[in-house]
Amino acid sequence: MSEDLLIEATNVEKWFGPVKVLDDVNFKVKRGEVVVLIGPSGSGKTTLLRCINHLETVQNGRIAVNGSLIGYRERNGKLVSDRESNIAIQRRDVGMVFQRFNLFANMNVLDNISLAPQLLRGTPKADAQAQARALLARVGLPEKAEAFPQELSGGQQQRVAIARALAMQPAVLLFDEPTSALDPEMVGEVLAVMRDLATTGITMVVVTHEMGFARQVADRVVVMAEGKIIEEGPPEQIFSSPSHPKTQALLAAVLH
Amino acid sequence: MNFDWAYFSAQLFTPSGAFLEGLGLTIIMSISAQLLGFVIGLVVAFGRMSANKYLSFAAAAYIWIIRGTPLLVQIVFIYTGLAAANLVRFEDITLGPITFPGNLQAGILALAINEAAYMAEIYRAGITAVDRGQFEAAKALGMPPIMLMRHVVLPQAFRIILLPIGNQFNIMLKNTTLVSVIGVSEMLLVTETINSATFRTFELYSVLGIYFLLLTSLWNIFMAWAERHFALGRPAAKSPPALAALEMGK
Repeated sequence: MSEDLLIEATNVEKWFGPVKVLDDVNFKVKRGEVVVLIGPSGSGKTTLLRCINHLETVQNGRIAVNGSLIGYRERNGKLVSDRESNIAIQRRDVGMVFQRFNLFANMNVLDNISLAPQLLRGTPKADAQAQARALLARVGLPEKAEAFPQELSGGQQQRVAIARALAMQPAVLLFDEPTSALDPEMVGEVLAVMRDLATTGITMVVVTHEMGFARQVADRVVVMAEGKIIEEGPPEQIFSSPSHPKTQALLAAVLH
Repeated sequence: MNFDWAYFSAQLFTPSGAFLEGLGLTIIMSISAQLLGFVIGLVVAFGRMSANKYLSFAAAAYIWIIRGTPLLVQIVFIYTGLAAANLVRFEDITLGPITFPGNLQAGILALAINEAAYMAEIYRAGITAVDRGQFEAAKALGMPPIMLMRHVVLPQAFRIILLPIGNQFNIMLKNTTLVSVIGVSEMLLVTETINSATFRTFELYSVLGIYFLLLTSLWNIFMAWAERHFALGRPAAKSPPALAALEMGK
């Protein structure tokens, strides 16, 4: 595995019951790269993303993050499930932003952001809170530190969720359709934060239907259909001259 | 009607020392059995939800047996039955001036074991009601299972199960009367003893009922406060379904 590869998924296969949702997927992400995953609903892009931090198990193939297998250990040439506590340690370097935000409902914004660094990185409370306030300023919500998630709009909750993921200083951020649950007028504020993040050099893998964002921000666009990666390349190539008929159909449908 | 008002009010307002000790025992038993029940119940709940099938089976069997047999039978079984079979004999424990009688130990233990079975199912219902997204977000940050439970899931489950917990302690307060069968001088047994000498059954049991009503009413007031206190920062509209229902009931 080469040094600058952060995520390397090889021959990954997964079934939900009789349905094959990931079909021999090979997916690599380089350090610092912004990769956008697109594809019709049910194409497996969210499932692939959730396999990267082992929120989903895979039945075949292997996924390595930062050079080490996630979710499994190799024993006598066979893969066996890793212990939950080991998986948890690996997840600390893989941040995730969810479609439905999933901010902790029992604590305010400041605690949402500063809890994990205190518990998992041993950051002193004062430092963790100072960092949380800095991150809140960065996502444009410095005045919301004491608010509870339920008091925020969807767009604000998602920006806090991004700050919460960043607080762990992960090597890569995974975005699972971060704007799909938002009212249309709030999509822009979240995309703006993500666009800003992309310029900082952090590695990002984004599942989205926002083609404008993909076109402007992605270093590489990966197209999935029926559990397979059917096409990938720089955005100008995918959007201007898609080669696969399914990509052409998808783009025709979403770009009108 | 033959009702001795003077006797009734004397018993109600100037109860005997024995009756007040009985009141104390009722309170001590219910609080300690409830606290023990919280702890044992949590262990049983985690066992029940465990991926380990032996643990899960053992916990399910515990819940099945305890909820399927009368508490009165369990109390006699634990104190008298285990001793008769030469398995466990509850001896008095003396620490300085305080003696902790064997039958009181057995009574508290029986109440706690019984309570734990019900609490286990309540915990399980509460944990199941917490949104899956909360588990996933905590996992994705890298929290191991116990940390995730302690900081994210249980605090939210607690709010959901606050009302059932209130019910449980209300029942516990009254269930302590059953421990009278193994000779613990709580309020009912003291009342029975006085009654066997005076035969003022109507007056005495009226007083006993009023004292229990007083205890449960104080608990109701506390729970009403707790519901308001722990609902802070949680507008009903965005709360989980169970909590929203709880808040609408106010």
